[in-house]
Amino acid sequence: MKILAVTSCPTGIAHTYMAAEALEQAAKKKGYEVKIETRGSVGVENELTAEEIEDADAIVLAIDTAVPMERFEGKKLVTVGVADALQKSSELIEQALKASPYTTGKNLADEVSDLKTKRSSERKGPYKHLMNGVSFMIPFVVAGGIAIALSFLIGGYIGFQEEGTLAAYLMGIGGTGGFGLMIPILAGYIAYSIADRPGLAVGMIGGSVATQINAGFLGAIIAGFMAGYVVEAIKKYIKLPKTLQGIMPVLIIPVFGSLIVGLSFFYVIGGPVAALNTAMNNFLTGMEGSSAAVLGLIIGLMMAFDMGGPVNKAAYAFGTGTLVAGTGSAVMAAVMAAGMVPPIGLGLATILFKNKFTTAERESGKSALVLGMSFITEGAIPFAAADPIRVIPSIMAGAGITGAMSMIFNATLSVPHGGIFVFFAVENIGMYLVSILIGSFITAVMAGTLKKPVEIVQPVKAAQ
Amino acid sequence: MIINENLVKLNLEASSREEVLKKLTKVASENGKVNDENTYIEAILKREEEFSTAVGFGVAIPHGKSDAVKEPFFMFSTVDSIDWKSMDGDPVDLVFLIGVPANDAGSTHLKILAALSRKLMKEEFRDSLRSARTEKDIMDLLEASELGL
Repeated sequence: MKILAVTSCPTGIAHTYMAAEALEQAAKKKGYEVKIETRGSVGVENELTAEEIEDADAIVLAIDTAVPMERFEGKKLVTVGVADALQKSSELIEQALKASPYTTGKNLADEVSDLKTKRSSERKGPYKHLMNGVSFMIPFVVAGGIAIALSFLIGGYIGFQEEGTLAAYLMGIGGTGGFGLMIPILAGYIAYSIADRPGLAVGMIGGSVATQINAGFLGAIIAGFMAGYVVEAIKKYIKLPKTLQGIMPVLIIPVFGSLIVGLSFFYVIGGPVAALNTAMNNFLTGMEGSSAAVLGLIIGLMMAFDMGGPVNKAAYAFGTGTLVAGTGSAVMAAVMAAGMVPPIGLGLATILFKNKFTTAERESGKSALVLGMSFITEGAIPFAAADPIRVIPSIMAGAGITGAMSMIFNATLSVPHGGIFVFFAVENIGMYLVSILIGSFITAVMAGTLKKPVEIVQPVKAAQ
Repeated sequence: MIINENLVKLNLEASSREEVLKKLTKVASENGKVNDENTYIEAILKREEEFSTAVGFGVAIPHGKSDAVKEPFFMFSTVDSIDWKSMDGDPVDLVFLIGVPANDAGSTHLKILAALSRKLMKEEFRDSLRSARTEKDIMDLLEASELGL
C-alpha cells in the first residue's frame, strides 16, 4: 500500500510537523509506504509529485488551511483538521483506503459561474459601483427591449402609434415601462453601491432628471455617482442630535440629496452632459463604412481580451448605453456578436482539432458552445487560462473580425443580452449570423493551428 | 542557541494554564528573549483560542509570533497536571513554550521547531523527558536528539 498525506496548520510552527510524524509512524506500523507533504512556516516541504499521486492508494489530508486540491482528482481521499491526525492517525489511513474517489465535482458551467462570482466580489471602487448599477439595469433593458421588439414584430415600426392595439401595449410595457425605468435604476444602484440604502432614492431621482434633460446613459452614470457621494457627504457632515437621527434617512438625506443632485443637473452640468450624450449618439449612428468597422474591431478585441473582465465589461457597458435611444443599436449588436465568438470558436476548435485538446477540454468544449450561444464570454476562460499565449490572440482575432463585420453589415440589436435567444430582435439577422460564424471559425482555426498537440499520456501500468 | 539551561524549568509550580504561561514568560523576559510579557502572552492565548495547543499525550506546545519577542526561543517545563483544554481532555504535564518574532525571516529555528514537533510524537522521547531529574538532563537529552540546536 502507498499512502500520501498533506499536513498544514494556521501558524505552521508545530502541528503541521506533529501530524506528519504521527501519520508517518502509523503508516509504517502497518507496513505501508508513506510520503507526507508539510505546508508549514518553513514553506512546502516534501511536495508530492504527480507520479507519486498517480501511484498512491489513498491520500490523507490533515489540514487547517487551504491546499491545492486539483491534483487529487480521482484519488481515494479523506480530509480532516490537523488535530485529528495527531490522535487518530491509524484510523484515518484505514478510512482513506475505503474512501470514495475525490472529485472537484465541477463541470465547465459550474467553473464559469464560480469565476463570475469571484470576479464580482473582487471588483473595487468606481468600477464596482458602475457594474452594480449596470447589473441591476440589465433585466429592465432585456424586458423592455424584447417587448419593444415584439411590438415592432406585430405592428411594424409605426404600429404602436395606434392606441388600444397589442403593439401599443407592448410598447407601453417595453418603452415607457422597461426603458423608462432603466436610467433611474442605473443611477439609483450606482448610488446604492456607494452610499447604501440612503443612496437609492437620491440616485433614482437624479437619474430621472438626467432623462428629462436628455442626458441619457452618460447623464445617468454621472447622476448615480454624484448622488452616492453627495449622500455620503451628508451622512458625514450633517450631525443631528441622537433623538433626531431617525429623520436622517427618511427626510434629510432624500430631500437635500435630491435637491443638490437635481438642481445641479438642471442649472450646471445637465447642459454639457446632454450635449455630449447627443454628440456621442449622433457620432455612433452616423458612423458608416470604415470608421464603423474600426469601432466594431475595437469592440470585438475588447470583448475577447479578458473574457468578462473589466475591459470586456467596459465595452459591454458602452453597448448598453447606446440602447437608450430605444431603437436597435449597431454597437450593441457588435458587442454581443463578438462576445459570443470566443467560447463558440474554442468549442468548435475542440471538435475540429481533437488532438490539440485533452479529453477534459473536449468535454468542456461542448459546454463552451452552449455558453457562447448564450453570450457568456466567460466560457472561454478555462481554455485561455490553460494556454493564454495561444488562446487569447485566437479569440481576439475572431471576435475582432466579427465585431467589424457586424458593424459593416449594420446589424442592430435592441436588447443587451441573451445570445441566440434574442436573435429575433436582431435586424439583418442573416449577415449577423455570417459574422458570428466567420469569427468563430477564425478563432477555431487559429487556436487549433497554434496550439501544440497534447502529449500522449503513458499507458497505465497493468495491475500485478 | 534557542534554548539553554536557564530556559528549562522542572516541576514549575502553577495551578492553571495562565499561571504557567505567566511564569514561563517572566523567565523568558529575564533572559532577554521577550520585551513585553503581556503582549506576548496575549499572542499565545489568541493562538490557543484557535484550537488548544495541547496535542495529547500530556504535551502542550503554546506558541506565538509577536513583536514582543526579541529573538526566537523555546522553553521546556514540567508541571503538575494542568487542564489545558486539550482535545482529548487529558491534563498536560509537559510544556514547550515557543516564541518567534513577528517579522522573523530566518528559517533555521523553524526547522528546529519542526523537528522537535516530530520528535514529541515519539513515546520514548516523551518518557525520557518525564524521567529527567535535572535541567542539565533535559539539555543533554535535547542535544542528543540531534535537533540541530
